[in-house]
Amino acid sequence: MAKELIRLQNVSMQFDGETVLDNISLTINDHEFLTLLGPSGCGKTTTLRIIGGFQTPTSGDVFFDGARINDVPPYRRKINTVFQKYALFPHLDVYDNIAFGLRVSKLPEPEVDRRVMEMLEIVSLRGFQNRKVTSLSGGQQQRVAIARALVNQPKVLLLDEPLGALDMRLRKDMQNELKRIQQALEITFIYVTHDQEEALAMSDTVVVMDKGCIQQIGSPVSIYNEPENAFVADFIGESNILDGIMRKDYEVEFFGHRYQCLDKGFAKNEPVDVVIRPEDIDIVPPGGGYLSATVTNVIFKGTFYDTFVDVGDFKWLIQTTDFHEIGDVIGISLDPDAIHVMKKSQYSEQFGDYSSYSAEYDEMEEDPEGEADEE
Amino acid sequence: MKNKLLAGPYLLWMVVFTLIPLGIVVYYAFTDSMTGSFTLSNLAKIGIYLPIFFRSIGLAAIACMICLVIGYPVAYCIASVGETWRRFLSMLVMLPMCMSFLLRTLAWVALLEDTGILNHALSLLGIGPLPLVRNNGAVILGMVYNYLPYMITPLYTVILKIDPKLEEAAQDLGCSGAQVFRRVTLPLSIPGIVSGITMVFVPAVSTFYISQKLGGTGTVLIGDVIESQFKTAYNPNLGAALSLILMVMVLICVGVMNHFSSDDIGEEMMPL
Repeated sequence: MAKELIRLQNVSMQFDGETVLDNISLTINDHEFLTLLGPSGCGKTTTLRIIGGFQTPTSGDVFFDGARINDVPPYRRKINTVFQKYALFPHLDVYDNIAFGLRVSKLPEPEVDRRVMEMLEIVSLRGFQNRKVTSLSGGQQQRVAIARALVNQPKVLLLDEPLGALDMRLRKDMQNELKRIQQALEITFIYVTHDQEEALAMSDTVVVMDKGCIQQIGSPVSIYNEPENAFVADFIGESNILDGIMRKDYEVEFFGHRYQCLDKGFAKNEPVDVVIRPEDIDIVPPGGGYLSATVTNVIFKGTFYDTFVDVGDFKWLIQTTDFHEIGDVIGISLDPDAIHVMKKSQYSEQFGDYSSYSAEYDEMEEDPEGEADEE
Repeated sequence: MKNKLLAGPYLLWMVVFTLIPLGIVVYYAFTDSMTGSFTLSNLAKIGIYLPIFFRSIGLAAIACMICLVIGYPVAYCIASVGETWRRFLSMLVMLPMCMSFLLRTLAWVALLEDTGILNHALSLLGIGPLPLVRNNGAVILGMVYNYLPYMITPLYTVILKIDPKLEEAAQDLGCSGAQVFRRVTLPLSIPGIVSGITMVFVPAVSTFYISQKLGGTGTVLIGDVIESQFKTAYNPNLGAALSLILMVMVLICVGVMNHFSSDDIGEEMMPL
């Protein structure tokens, strides 16, 4: 299972003196669903383009099946790409778009026909073969793009924000569809997205990137539960990130309280970042030695309430199914496994305080639009 | 409604200076030069002029093809360089058009005639004088030289609009450079090729000045015949009839070409 297929080794990329990728190393296994996740301009698309052969790294090596492929042009790589805005050929119909790669490699026409029809079946587009691609909806164009790539039976499929242009509902359907196709055909998928939910739902491995560097590589669960720094904690899901001091192994102090935690291996009295996920916080009656907080805002989110509370001058986000009124004073109880301690990093102090929450929320809603034209 | 009003002056212009004159041409074409009564005899004379029609169409078609062969790589090059170069190069292409058409054609005569600059230079090498002018070749040269910008401009506009991602997609699907061109770039430039050919062919097929200056007695074009009917032979009725026939032929040629392009791509690719 864990056979290495692609390896990036100390890859850097510069455009006009600006560093887009800064010495990244990454191994991708056969049959893996790997997602490159990060905000706009983090270098994820560039990484994908390097693997696809559309860009040659400024330094570092790319290996495919053990062979160095830095200088192998895209058309000689056993890799196909689903482009961000599909890049379907407008002068060809659905059938000819899908048949394109097979005809380039001069397959006999009956074989082309068999495989195109089979592919149309897989992406649920039977009966659409003679339609103009320009007459299709976004979701259908998406399927054609996937079929056009997969019909060549590549070892690796690269997907560059393939669902970015689709509406929410269709996105969810296509996520399931893609995962199903990936498992059925046993192809390695390398998927680029800025949508953390998408990344967590689909991937075997998530690679979180920012500023041209890999911030963390791991399974969705480990990335969510054990973020390595404040950037990852903030980017993946919601996080309250506080300043703390590691008093000793398994004991951390913040807001003047000492808490049991599951982390160790820090220096005595080392300043740390403490991550507490909003859904891991238990609300208890105030007093009794608990941290006490005042509710300042409540937003109904359907399955839970986003409850904002002030603890001193720090604003926390708590996700709870119980309603608390603005102005209520509550107690905050934290189990040891609700607390995750991280080393200080360049991202400390930048994230995790919800005092500017509403602004941040707007940004997150709008981001997908701005993201579409990345790089 | 407001937008329609804005087009008013142009519509008026069209009616006064295009539609009405066209009506007059049709009227003259179908009337006798002496009696002014209805006749088909003007149109019936086409038989005599058929070889000249064919020569005009043939030379214009050859000029068109040469323009395409020269123009496409130029247009492709202009479309693929950076912004600054692109502006500079397209200015270079347009530059000759800033000079008088007559002057440019006369300049070629001065270059090519037996006592002209080229033959003079050749004579220094002991060659010539070569018959460089007063033949079909010189007429074609004149057409290509004068109308090349009309080929390059629409081509370059269309090539520029082709999404580079499509070429990447073709590479991704196994196309080498030449295959990308043949399977994607070329088919997607067909609208540009069609309008380029139209814009070269139409003026070339009806030109008279180029053939008068650069052509010989054997290269009389239909434009020359029409001109002479109005200016020297004083038979505007025959001139009108020949113009009408030429117009119909051109419309048919253009129509056939547009049909070819719209079949495959047409306006549906335009939103791209």
